[in-house]
Amino acid sequence: MEDPFDLLAGWVHETFLIPLLYATGLMKWEDLAQGWALFAIYGALQVALTLALCMPLERWRPVEHWPDTKAVAVDIFYTVLSRVGVLPLVTFVLFYKVQTSLNGWIVDHGWIPPTLEHIFPILFGHPIPSFILYAIVLDCADYWRHRLSHQFRWWWALHSLHHAQRQMTFWSDDRNHIVDDLIAFVWFGAIALAIGVPPLQFPLLVLVLRFIESLSHANTRVWFGAIGERLIVSPRFHRAHHGVLAAGQRSCNYGSVLPIWDIVFRTADFSRDYVQTGDPSGEEALATGTWLEQQRAGLRRMLRA
Amino acid sequence: MTPWFRLRVLPFLLATALTPHAWADGVAFVLNSKSASVSIVDMTARREVRRIPALREPHHIVLSPDGKSLLIGDTAGNQIMFADPVTGAVQRRAPVSDPYHLAFSPNGKYLVVNGLARNQVDVYDAATLAMIKRFHVDSTPSHLDFSPDSKTAFVTLQDTDKLAAFDLTAMTPKWVEPIGPTPAGVIWLNGKILVANMGSDHVAVADPATGKILDRIVTGKGAHTLFLAPDKKILWVNNRAAGTTVSLDAQTLKIIRVYNIPGGPDDIDFAPDGTLWITRRFAEKVAVLDPGTGAFETVQVGRSPHGIWLNPKAPAP
Repeated sequence: MEDPFDLLAGWVHETFLIPLLYATGLMKWEDLAQGWALFAIYGALQVALTLALCMPLERWRPVEHWPDTKAVAVDIFYTVLSRVGVLPLVTFVLFYKVQTSLNGWIVDHGWIPPTLEHIFPILFGHPIPSFILYAIVLDCADYWRHRLSHQFRWWWALHSLHHAQRQMTFWSDDRNHIVDDLIAFVWFGAIALAIGVPPLQFPLLVLVLRFIESLSHANTRVWFGAIGERLIVSPRFHRAHHGVLAAGQRSCNYGSVLPIWDIVFRTADFSRDYVQTGDPSGEEALATGTWLEQQRAGLRRMLRA
Repeated sequence: MTPWFRLRVLPFLLATALTPHAWADGVAFVLNSKSASVSIVDMTARREVRRIPALREPHHIVLSPDGKSLLIGDTAGNQIMFADPVTGAVQRRAPVSDPYHLAFSPNGKYLVVNGLARNQVDVYDAATLAMIKRFHVDSTPSHLDFSPDSKTAFVTLQDTDKLAAFDLTAMTPKWVEPIGPTPAGVIWLNGKILVANMGSDHVAVADPATGKILDRIVTGKGAHTLFLAPDKKILWVNNRAAGTTVSLDAQTLKIIRVYNIPGGPDDIDFAPDGTLWITRRFAEKVAVLDPGTGAFETVQVGRSPHGIWLNPKAPAP
């Protein structure tokens, strides 16, 4: 079965990227550009899908109404930058270069980097269960990255940019300090080294997971019921994490996709109902500044921490 | 039973029944580099019938010297998958660092593996897969070929615009010479080394003893891979940026014909009926080109199909 998004990425690559690379003498980046095109097309699809599903939800049952939504516009910029713009390109190139170099260094020392399929050979030939297991492991790793980002003062100073938003919407998922993103990249790279990561093999499933993360930030009174709340992170569950009382080093509900980690590690709080979001301890620029002002404010806060 | 049937039809039926693969339809193996799989294609029906899962990113494929195994290099998976060349059944998976392009020396003694992302050229004992030598190169070794006497391996170094030669007798580097922008495919032809320079529109012709460029043959933008037809009369070149496949007279290197094959034409294998099976990297398809008419049929496969290998003697899958 054809993958229309892969074909679209191929068309973009062949029609625009290759002529550009050829004309500028950069054909050595041709293979990576193909991967980035696919990444960017799926990123654009993620944004479109999230917009199509989350916007009606936010209009149907909003938690808050705001007369001025200027602060949301910056979050839209973060999203586009993160999912279809420069960041995927940088991440893609960096990730590729760092991973292959480290993998090679490890191999040179007589050790082949493992994969989950090596650890559990039964997974060979069963891509969907493999992906689900990868997603579970990565979600657990992300829980701990997120939880630690609240523990260390300097890290929280960076991460507080994400929490500063008082007008939290589905656009807020990618609102991060660039250094915080870099740390996440290193974290993710370390996990990739430990177990291997096959995300581009499963772009549609990645798309679903990213959608859940965006939805969890939506300004909407949506929850998944007593059982559903414990299976998938809902807007209600994650909003408690963004609450003004939860901002800082003693927070709750750190999970991105699966609440199970919060339940197991005793940080789950299912009692809070659609709380007010934001971080009162941060300077105003973190909440309402431009992208650049927010980045500078985050850096200042980290240096003071 | 009529005499005509006894004399004409019966011997044919007996002969075909007793000949191995007499009614063979052929199987094509196509490596889907971004779907982590190998498509098994019925060559007669020209349709994919099933997929073999790879681990991460299979790129190139080669038949073992004894003909018993296909070796499929899985770069990001750091392994070579061995598969039955008739059925596609996976025989085993061997851990190998970053196997991108791989080939056996003509004498069947060595398996040379280029680690494109790892800047390494590894020489293995073909029989045991024990590593004999690792050459660290600068940088991104892409494709490789050998001298007919198996004494030298030639490797394109994509990011440094160079061609390297390695002495497989002494296991030492011989020379590294500039060859052109972003070199990819390389082939030994009539005592010369030909290199497709993807960052340009030409194939460089070099002296295998020194690596010095002797000539440049313009084939089209993004010259990428080179394949010699089984009868050794025609050299085929795929041009990545131009989206063309070009036939050249193997003796004179004059262009015979240019075929439009959109979708990033990459690897080629040749079917006994004269058709060329060409992977189209950006189109999730294989083009089956009739060089006589210039028309091509398409076979749907997975994402970013790269390596291809045909077994026309295999029974229909």
